[in-house]
Amino acid sequence: MNKKILCAVTAVSMALTMTACSGKDGSSDENNGNTLSIMGKKSDLAKSYMTSIFEQYEKSSGVKLKIISVEDADYEDEAAKRIKEGTLPDVFLHFNNSDLNRFDVEKNFCYLNDEKWVSELTDSAKEYCLDSSGDLLGLPFWESSVSGCYYNKTILNDLGLDTATTQAEFDMLCQALADIGYTPICWPADGCSWMLQFGLDPIFADDPSTLEKINKNEITYADIPEVKDMTEWIYDAAKNGWFGSDYKKTGWDDISPALSSGNAVMTFIWDTWFYTDFKPDKYTVDDFALMPVFMDTADNGTYEGGNLNMMMVNKNSQKADKAKEFLAFCADADNYNIAFDGISTVSCFKNQTTNIQSQMVTDEKNSIDEYERVSTASTRIIGYSADETAKIFNKMFVGDISVDECINLMDENRINAAHSQGIKGF
Amino acid sequence: MKKWLGKIIMPMMILIVGTAAVLIGVFYFRFISEHINEDSTVHLREIYGQVDRSFVSYIEKNWGVLEGWKYYISLAGEDNQSIKDFIDERQKYWGFSDFYFLSEDNECMTPSGEKNGVSMDDVYNSLIQTDSPVMASGKMETGQELTVFAVPVSSGTYKGFRYNAIAVSYTNEDLAASLDVKAFDGEAKCFVVNGSGDVLLSTQTGGSVFKNYLKYIDAASDLTDSQLEDMRTNIQIGASDIVECRIADTDSYILYQPIGYQNYTMISVVPQSDVSAGFLSVQKTTWNVLTIIFLLLGAAIITVLLVRARKLSRKNKMELQYRELMFDVLSSNVDDIFIMLSPIDFKVEYISPNIERLLGLSVDNVRSDLREMEKCAINGTVAIPRDDLDDIPMGGNKSWECEYMHQKTGERRWYRLAIYRMMIQDTEKFIFVLSDRTQDKQLNQKLSEALTAAKSANEAKSNFLSNMSHDIRTPMNAIVGFSVLLEKDADQPEKVREYTRKITASSRHMLSLINDVLDMSKIESGKTSLNHDLFSLPELLDDLSIILLPQAKAKHQEFRIHVQGAPPEHMLGDKLRLDQILLNLLSNAVKYTPVGGNIDFTVSSLQSKAPQYAKLRFVVSDNGIGMSKEFQKQIFAPFSREISSVTNTIQGTGLGMAITKNLVDLMGGIISVESEPDKGSTFTVELSFALPEHEEADLWFRHKVNRVLVADDEEDVCKGIERLMRDTGVELVCVPDGEKAVEEAVNAHNSGNNYNVILLDWKMPVMNGVDSARKIRETIGDDVPILVLTSYDWSEIEDEARQAGIDAFMSKPFFLSTFWHTIKPLFNKKAADEIPPEDINTESTMDGLLFLVAEDNALNAEILTEMLGMEGASCELAVNGQQAVDMFVNSEAGHYDMIFMDVQMPVMNGYDATKAIRSSAHPEAKTIPIAAMTANTFAEDVRDALDAGMNGHLAKPIDMNAVKDLVGKLTRKKRRNDR
Repeated sequence: MNKKILCAVTAVSMALTMTACSGKDGSSDENNGNTLSIMGKKSDLAKSYMTSIFEQYEKSSGVKLKIISVEDADYEDEAAKRIKEGTLPDVFLHFNNSDLNRFDVEKNFCYLNDEKWVSELTDSAKEYCLDSSGDLLGLPFWESSVSGCYYNKTILNDLGLDTATTQAEFDMLCQALADIGYTPICWPADGCSWMLQFGLDPIFADDPSTLEKINKNEITYADIPEVKDMTEWIYDAAKNGWFGSDYKKTGWDDISPALSSGNAVMTFIWDTWFYTDFKPDKYTVDDFALMPVFMDTADNGTYEGGNLNMMMVNKNSQKADKAKEFLAFCADADNYNIAFDGISTVSCFKNQTTNIQSQMVTDEKNSIDEYERVSTASTRIIGYSADETAKIFNKMFVGDISVDECINLMDENRINAAHSQGIKGF
Repeated sequence: MKKWLGKIIMPMMILIVGTAAVLIGVFYFRFISEHINEDSTVHLREIYGQVDRSFVSYIEKNWGVLEGWKYYISLAGEDNQSIKDFIDERQKYWGFSDFYFLSEDNECMTPSGEKNGVSMDDVYNSLIQTDSPVMASGKMETGQELTVFAVPVSSGTYKGFRYNAIAVSYTNEDLAASLDVKAFDGEAKCFVVNGSGDVLLSTQTGGSVFKNYLKYIDAASDLTDSQLEDMRTNIQIGASDIVECRIADTDSYILYQPIGYQNYTMISVVPQSDVSAGFLSVQKTTWNVLTIIFLLLGAAIITVLLVRARKLSRKNKMELQYRELMFDVLSSNVDDIFIMLSPIDFKVEYISPNIERLLGLSVDNVRSDLREMEKCAINGTVAIPRDDLDDIPMGGNKSWECEYMHQKTGERRWYRLAIYRMMIQDTEKFIFVLSDRTQDKQLNQKLSEALTAAKSANEAKSNFLSNMSHDIRTPMNAIVGFSVLLEKDADQPEKVREYTRKITASSRHMLSLINDVLDMSKIESGKTSLNHDLFSLPELLDDLSIILLPQAKAKHQEFRIHVQGAPPEHMLGDKLRLDQILLNLLSNAVKYTPVGGNIDFTVSSLQSKAPQYAKLRFVVSDNGIGMSKEFQKQIFAPFSREISSVTNTIQGTGLGMAITKNLVDLMGGIISVESEPDKGSTFTVELSFALPEHEEADLWFRHKVNRVLVADDEEDVCKGIERLMRDTGVELVCVPDGEKAVEEAVNAHNSGNNYNVILLDWKMPVMNGVDSARKIRETIGDDVPILVLTSYDWSEIEDEARQAGIDAFMSKPFFLSTFWHTIKPLFNKKAADEIPPEDINTESTMDGLLFLVAEDNALNAEILTEMLGMEGASCELAVNGQQAVDMFVNSEAGHYDMIFMDVQMPVMNGYDATKAIRSSAHPEAKTIPIAAMTANTFAEDVRDALDAGMNGHLAKPIDMNAVKDLVGKLTRKKRRNDR
């Protein structure tokens, strides 16, 4: 089936389909079916694959897209305002994170569980777009990456060492590397806050009830044994020298030199970083490979899936059906393969072929499929601040606070943030 | 020699014993270590030999059972369930992870029918190559590593799967558990590797990350390249060995030995401490025991040495302390200061404690900083001559004369500072010795002063004798000369009177000269003591005025008395001596001020530091001849008289000012003089007097003196009177002239509010005091007492004034007590009228009086008898005190009018006689006037006389005027008392 035929079939089928989400007829031109409004952050809408898909759609459907581009910093407030005023656009772009809780999703957006394109999504992409009840909130249309433990396979091979498949093996590997004199893990404690969420993700992704309880302020981190396991592991790893000696001063810019020189063997990062920030030296991208992250919260390790921007449909829009048609257009393999042609990203769609995927990710596809978790900690835990959490851990690293005090401070910080946001229950 | 041997032998013995102990220890531990190493390797080989055999046996057993099972499976044919049950049952027994049917296509199936559960590449390769049982490593899809045992079988089919071999797999953990190679407390690592070092089997718990152990060893151990090469070669050729190396900071044994299957080799890595744990424990215990023994021995030796050293040190310290103590005691009792200091930093290492006593410096302060001594240095004296220290040769010394001041007492002390530079116990030191020369210096000074004083005294004596010779000879010359002339001109009464007048004058001068000399002598000999009686300042000034005014008047001088401030009227002190001082000064002023000059006597009250004392300043100033500066310097020296054309004409002993100065000193006061030739002199005396505890109670109110009118043109006088009367409660009205006084008095009278007393200055502008009094009397009558206050001699105007209505006179300055005593009789005219007429006549008369005279000197008795006779009086003589007493006691009452009592008499002196009379039963024992008539003329003689009970004192030679005055006063008083 060529592209044009597919488009036509899709358009006809959308036209014939009446769903529970259909809105009232409007009298303006905008409501006559000739336009469709899409609202997103200015920087998000400027992505090439976004502009590409918009152009394709306008050209294919004849529908004029009204792009509402909002400054990034004002986006959440603008969205809240529009929801309150009832002026939400037909299509609304948003990440599936805790900020979405402000917008009363059930009342304002359509669930998309029954859309045909759902089967086109990769499991991880679909997983990302579900709400806590398992309903699909939007179409993931975004570039993505796989975060995990990227290691220097050349060094491991030269040392006669193998990758780890369990937490115990990972600890053995770290110790073996440290014994030889390498920095096993490049841990950029100075300002790089994402490392911690690798440990937290499995705790909350594997047991949604835990996430729900903590977001209702029914439990705290201190009540979750795995949080203590993770904190203790990090504390011990630092103490054992697995982060090297200068980890407290290591920042974003130091990761690349540490890895490319071979001083550090592993780090917890995402694949696209190697194509944006890594500067080859003694070792190049080809020397690196991917294995799961082990932080004593998942015995077989974990990968973190990418954060995906979703296209959501305004439930109260008169053009909800047309909006769904637009989403179906975006989920069409012909269309998204044109849009993502040459884009370095993990696939969101099963038939996504034109994007560039790193060999590192491709090689570990099975492992990723098995152990990847949706990014949860940073996006779903209300009041979670990666930066503040990292600062608290740094206090622990310098010996100002103990493991328990670290956990208590994380709780205090999270609860205060939730309280200041006016979240119910805090 | 013995001491030297002791010093050498002991350390040598310790050294030898110590060295021997160390050598034995080293030898012993080397021996032990070698044996431990040897035993450890044997032990290791035994353990891993056993593991190896177990492993091979295990392989063969697995192959064996698989060989057995294949027949059953073959026999079971297509009965898959039976085959599965058989395998499940065996799995429970043997504990393998899984069972596989292997096909020629490199596929496998489990009994449950699952395919591709495990990667079997290596297994197939071995099977194909050898067509015999194999053991190989495999990997599950989850990544878990397995060890697979497989045997070829006849081709068969299981659940449609065609197979040519069967296999069982074990996870590495299961295999390790079944091999039971967890020796050495789990610290051992055991790997089965192929010839390349690839790890086929690891016995590590929790998995393994070692892929090629030879590579890891290469990177992680301290084995050299050649050692590694040997190991690789040995593993490839199937040789075995034990290697010692360090892996990850741990001393380890690496044992490798072929397991007898293919080219597989077992590599075991064990920490040496775990292998030799038992031996090391023994070694450690032995080491600990030996260490403890050595430590105890060492401690014992050290203790003995320490005890000895401490004993020696204590002994030395005690000796040192004794020495220091002795030195401290010694130095404390001498007036020499010792200081020892380091020449490098001038740090004081010793300082004798007497520095505090001798110089008032703190030992600690000087010890911390030698410069502290500079505080004591008197200007021009070097405290510590630092700059000169370098000039002192080693073993030499240098000395200086220094003068220091005691920091607490301010006492000056002289020292001889000797500095010695010497070596003490191979260390260079400076020793400072400050020898006190103060006594020597003071002695020399005293000797020098004594010499000077002796010379001066001798000179003074010569001068005195010379002066006395001159001063005595001069009046004597007149007496002798006029006596001769008297004899010659005895028949010429006019000349006789002239000669006797001159003889009398010369005698008086000679008498005053003798009095002064004796007075001076007594004061200087320290025999003069001061009286401490209540005296009245107004009385004192009155007395002075009485004496000085006539003298000043005779020279037409103006003599004024001023009182400034509010000096107390009554004080405690020696009035006689104060009289003497002030009379000397005032007499001199009169004497050395030309005719018509001015003499001012000012008494002022100064602020006293102690409230119970009054401090007064007496200033006598004149516009007389003054003195030169040179003479002012010696004016207070005996026999000092300025020689000039004026002074030569004035008689004087030259002792008056010396006596005055000595008396002022004796009274704790100061005297000073300012003078300029031809302009005058000012003498200032400042003295302190104790105040009586209680002043006389105020009687003004009781006597109804409520209002007083004062008229004086001098504002200061008015203010002074106001100030003095401030506390009396009397209303005081002051007017500046007589006219206003009259006006005020008349007005008061007319208003029925008369003044109680009117006090008028004599000389006032507009209208003088006498005229004012007259005018007042004309209007208000005689009821109100009117007094004249004047600084002039009022005798000239007394009659006129009394006629004008003035009741009494008061001398300036105004004193409250004088005022009171003056007006008191006026308020009781009746009482005054009762005074007999003879009493009113104050002129003394001795006519008809009978005196008892106690005089042992017949000549003096005769003179007195004659003189009394000349005055119409008579006397009865007693030659000693006892006779006088007897005569009085035996006399009838009223027989004697008065007694003249010599003091120095045989049998009984005058004082005792007076006491006897006063204590006798004679009716007039208490009232009979007794006057001393003696050559003992000092103030204390007067006091002694009064203390003895006498009523007055007359000095010899007899001055009849004084006799008459005293007799008049005492006999009148007696008469009043008798009445």
